[in-house]
Amino acid sequence: MGQKNQKQQHQQHHHILSNKMAFTIGGLLLILTGVTVGVAHIDLGRLNFFIAMAVATVKALLVALFFMGLKYDRKENGMIFATSFIFLAIFLILASTDLFFRGDVYVKGPLMAAAQGPSKLKKPWISTPELVGKGKELYAVQCVACHGVEGQGNGPAASALNPHPRNFTESEGWKNGRKPTMVFKTLKEGLPPSAMASYATLPADDRWALVHFVLSLGPKPQEDTVADFAKVGIDPNRAVNEEKEDATLPIEVAQERMAVASLQSEFEARLYHPILRNTPPSEEVTQLGQHLYQAHCVECHGLHGEGGIKVKNLGVNPVAFVVTLPFQSSTGGLSSQEQFNHRVILGLPGELMPGMGQLSSSELKELYQWVRGFSSR
Amino acid sequence: MSKGEIAIRHHAHHFESADAEFEACKQGMWLFLVTEVLMFGGLFVAYGIFRGLYPEMFHEAHKMLAVKMGGLNTVVLITSSLTMAFAVSATQKGRRQQAILCLSATFFLACCFLVVKYFEYSHKFHDGLLPGAYFTNTELTNPKSPLFFSLYFVMTGLHGVHVLIGMGVIAWLIRRTIRNDFSAHYYTPVELVGFYWHFVDLVWIYLFPLLYLVG
Repeated sequence: MGQKNQKQQHQQHHHILSNKMAFTIGGLLLILTGVTVGVAHIDLGRLNFFIAMAVATVKALLVALFFMGLKYDRKENGMIFATSFIFLAIFLILASTDLFFRGDVYVKGPLMAAAQGPSKLKKPWISTPELVGKGKELYAVQCVACHGVEGQGNGPAASALNPHPRNFTESEGWKNGRKPTMVFKTLKEGLPPSAMASYATLPADDRWALVHFVLSLGPKPQEDTVADFAKVGIDPNRAVNEEKEDATLPIEVAQERMAVASLQSEFEARLYHPILRNTPPSEEVTQLGQHLYQAHCVECHGLHGEGGIKVKNLGVNPVAFVVTLPFQSSTGGLSSQEQFNHRVILGLPGELMPGMGQLSSSELKELYQWVRGFSSR
Repeated sequence: MSKGEIAIRHHAHHFESADAEFEACKQGMWLFLVTEVLMFGGLFVAYGIFRGLYPEMFHEAHKMLAVKMGGLNTVVLITSSLTMAFAVSATQKGRRQQAILCLSATFFLACCFLVVKYFEYSHKFHDGLLPGAYFTNTELTNPKSPLFFSLYFVMTGLHGVHVLIGMGVIAWLIRRTIRNDFSAHYYTPVELVGFYWHFVDLVWIYLFPLLYLVG
């Protein structure tokens, strides 16, 4: 009798999937599989993805509701299972918004002091010999490392970059288009995720000068349309100096700058603080020479003096590529302490190696010992 | 009347009734499946992000996968889900022979799935379509291509491990069914393994289109 009761109880609570229902669901699942495969062979662009996901979700629902019996189960079990998908959606959406939309975020603030002023020229999008000349000078400092002296995209740092830097002498393949305003936009925003950085920290006039020089390297560029002007927020009928360009900086650039600044101040604090200076900062840095090396040299020459291509902030420039060679103890600046002092104090003018006049002779000695040590280590 | 039906299942002392025990076990299984969703979810998010970053690479690389084999495996897995559903309802109705048959069929289909997967994997190994540093294929020109195969192998690999574990527990169910452990009154393990197996199917339902079809 108790046995019978229990059986009834079971039947009351536990739904048993009928064979007919199971076959129906199984059949539907197979048909839907056929549908996904079939639709995938038709090219519908982005729609393909959404159709495939919609069909998969219908299939998943069929499995969950009938095979797993969620339809007949207690509501809380369904809620528990659904919660996992809600969390998954939060995970996916937050990660995507960060990754795919952050490029549009700009930072306003004191970091932008250099680029504050609006253009002083009336119509900077029209090329003049003066602008091209000024652009040529700026190009030699800002762009030559990647884009090369002739603008053919073959500078010393180019071989390490994928995609390759733009060849300015060709008219095809310009990501934003080969028009003054579009090149101006590229200079402001950079071309993430490629190595082309934002040059928004350069004054607007300098950027216009670069635009015209770069365009002068190839055939005559296309004319700007009204829509192009709108994209960079310029009204071609109004004098530019009435308009104020937003003092903004792409967030990647701002973050990079702040990171470098904090790194430098940490090193400097150690270097010039009377007590910290004489106490080794950690087990890893035990010698003053190493300490000095890490403060002044490591950024370009690498942790072990291996050289290579580094990205560095130089003065007001946003980002420059610096190519350094590995140290060789027998030649050049490392052949003697005297040669070394000479090289370090004066730097290498024109080759981005800055002079370090602030170092004392005892510091130079320590640094020399450390750097020479690379070849024996 | 079989032995299982006569013996009344004794539930653990901390449960009010066998029913309460069953419900608690089931809820525990759902919670476990939640953790499974989140584990696979991490990989799906990685897939979504890299696909968003390198759409051309994904499009080029996904063409290297064998749609026919993937499609065959989808059919195999859906059929195994169906046989699993039959195994559960047969156990619930106390039909032991039918349950053993259906569980064995599920086990066999899981084997088929892994055999197809084996052929797919060995073909990829042969073509040098491997993750990260082991990628030696020269046909794919996009330098980011190894990333697609990292995702492919980790996602299908983790799913494959689930299939293997599933085969283990299904084998255990077959043994227990033969031993006459289950009846119309007590079938908790069968139903819960059923959940697990349907979940494995559910993951594949998403993996198949994402990797093979719309890459």
